[in-house]
Amino acid sequence: MSAAAGSAYATGGMGQSNAETLHKLSALATLGILIGIFAFGNAAFLSVNNGLTVLLQTSVIGLLGIGMTMVIITGGIDLSVGAVLALSGTATGLMVKAGVPVPLAMAGGVGVGALCGLINGLVVTKLRITPFVATLGMMMIARGTALQLTGAAPVSRLGEAFGRLGNGALFRIVEQQPNGLSKVAFPGIPYPAILLLVVALMAAFLLKRRPLGRHIYATGSNEEAARLSGVNVNRTKIAAYVMSGALAGLAGNVLMSRLVTAQPNEGVMYELDAIAAAVIGGASLMGGVGTISGTMIGAFIIGVLRNGLNMAGVSAFIQQIIIGFVVIAAVFVDQLRSRR
Amino acid sequence: MSPLVEMIDIEKHFGGIKAVDRVSLDLREGEVVGVLGHNGAGKSCLMRILSGAMAPSAGTIRVGGAEANIDSPHAARGLGIETIYQTLALADHLDAPANLFLGRELRTRWGNLDERRMLEEARKVLARLNPNFRNLGDPVSRLSGGQRQVIAIARAIYFDVKILIMDEPTAALGPAETAMVSELIRQLKQEGIGIFLVSHDMHDVFELCDRVVVMNRGRKVGSHSVSEVSKDDVLSLIIKGELPGGWVPREAERVQ
Repeated sequence: MSAAAGSAYATGGMGQSNAETLHKLSALATLGILIGIFAFGNAAFLSVNNGLTVLLQTSVIGLLGIGMTMVIITGGIDLSVGAVLALSGTATGLMVKAGVPVPLAMAGGVGVGALCGLINGLVVTKLRITPFVATLGMMMIARGTALQLTGAAPVSRLGEAFGRLGNGALFRIVEQQPNGLSKVAFPGIPYPAILLLVVALMAAFLLKRRPLGRHIYATGSNEEAARLSGVNVNRTKIAAYVMSGALAGLAGNVLMSRLVTAQPNEGVMYELDAIAAAVIGGASLMGGVGTISGTMIGAFIIGVLRNGLNMAGVSAFIQQIIIGFVVIAAVFVDQLRSRR
Repeated sequence: MSPLVEMIDIEKHFGGIKAVDRVSLDLREGEVVGVLGHNGAGKSCLMRILSGAMAPSAGTIRVGGAEANIDSPHAARGLGIETIYQTLALADHLDAPANLFLGRELRTRWGNLDERRMLEEARKVLARLNPNFRNLGDPVSRLSGGQRQVIAIARAIYFDVKILIMDEPTAALGPAETAMVSELIRQLKQEGIGIFLVSHDMHDVFELCDRVVVMNRGRKVGSHSVSEVSKDDVLSLIIKGELPGGWVPREAERVQ
């Protein structure tokens, strides 16, 4: 889905190498093979319902992955996204509880995420703290704040409107049956999936078609060269961290809305899934390399693996082990190619 | 006519160390000035100050007679000061047009990158420097040293350059490409562009420059027209910081 969307912008300026295209193709093939295997093992895997479930489950990792990709391309890393997701979601929940209208509260939650990102960006550029340490600190600060604000207790009874973003769907078709009961003919496309598609398209456009995107790649590719060329390297980095924070906030709102509860404990270790998605999709932690379409493929590989293994009755622990191997294998295959 | 650029009493300290010690330097239209000295003599430092990559500790810079505040590479480029760095300063993952226009991207009406126009312009300016230049869509990491140098030069001359700083422009080049750079310098000189040529190659310096400025331990120890000094005189300045004993100008008049 978003893979095709991203690749529409994948030409020009980036000097996209064959190796990069090849990586994306092999990641896409991996995704296809996974789907084939799971479908063979369980017919229900290919059902519309399950497809939509995968979309829904992947949307949170996908949103985090998009922000993570931008930061990784600048040569940085954002370890705080899981905690920022929790802080933003609980901030929204608390605001709704205090009587703020839901859309406004959600915008506020995303704003909290963006603010965390801004602080990350300022600490990295102005205090010259390495991104790993700066965002590790923010991870603890955001998580602690979320727990402190709520007393570590979930904020529930947030009302129907709060749950719409995470549970609603577009084109939902409900038929009236002769016996008077209603039947869901088509469950509709979940809002989170639509949101992910829109955000992915916008991010791909930003990276490939806007000067800021060009500067994000240049900064990660050769920071000194970018600076000497007149690129405002600090502003570019700050922009990447702000977008990562805002998208973590958005993901937090989607997730809490889906649960109709603001959970300060949500999103632990999600940053690692987001990094894994970006890396499986071909992003390099050295900076300068990465695409939104690749990260989307990576996110779906993780999502499909989880979903398929769940349906096959494989334990969550074994799932972690398998995904761990996939991450290492993806990077190894990538290295083999670039060494040649 | 006032000089293109005047650097007046420039100083740069790193802690207690004076990397540049009250150096004044100027450059006129169509003049090629060789800047020489050992590694660490302060010549790179001085050039980095002029290109906005480094802030001076003290001193003033005048461009076209007016005092200029060069606080960033961006500001320097805005004044027509372009630099070709020895490291080339290219973003390896980007292609040639993207590097050429980095920081000054051509934009469409909506502010998006105008890839088509950048490609066309890049093709033109690169062809002027090297008619065989292809691979405009490849990341520059995959290009040869000569091709990369061509991109770095193209980036400096494409925009409205008045003052060009070339830091060891031929160090990584083969004979054919070196000849191309020499030809280019003569061409730019004809167009009235002032050039600072930082080089270790005495042959290049004497062939291309009108004047040599020698730095030693952060101080300017000499500024001479190439017609009044020999290579040995310049070597003495570089190594000892002074002219050989009993030196007299080869021709009567001294420039400064």
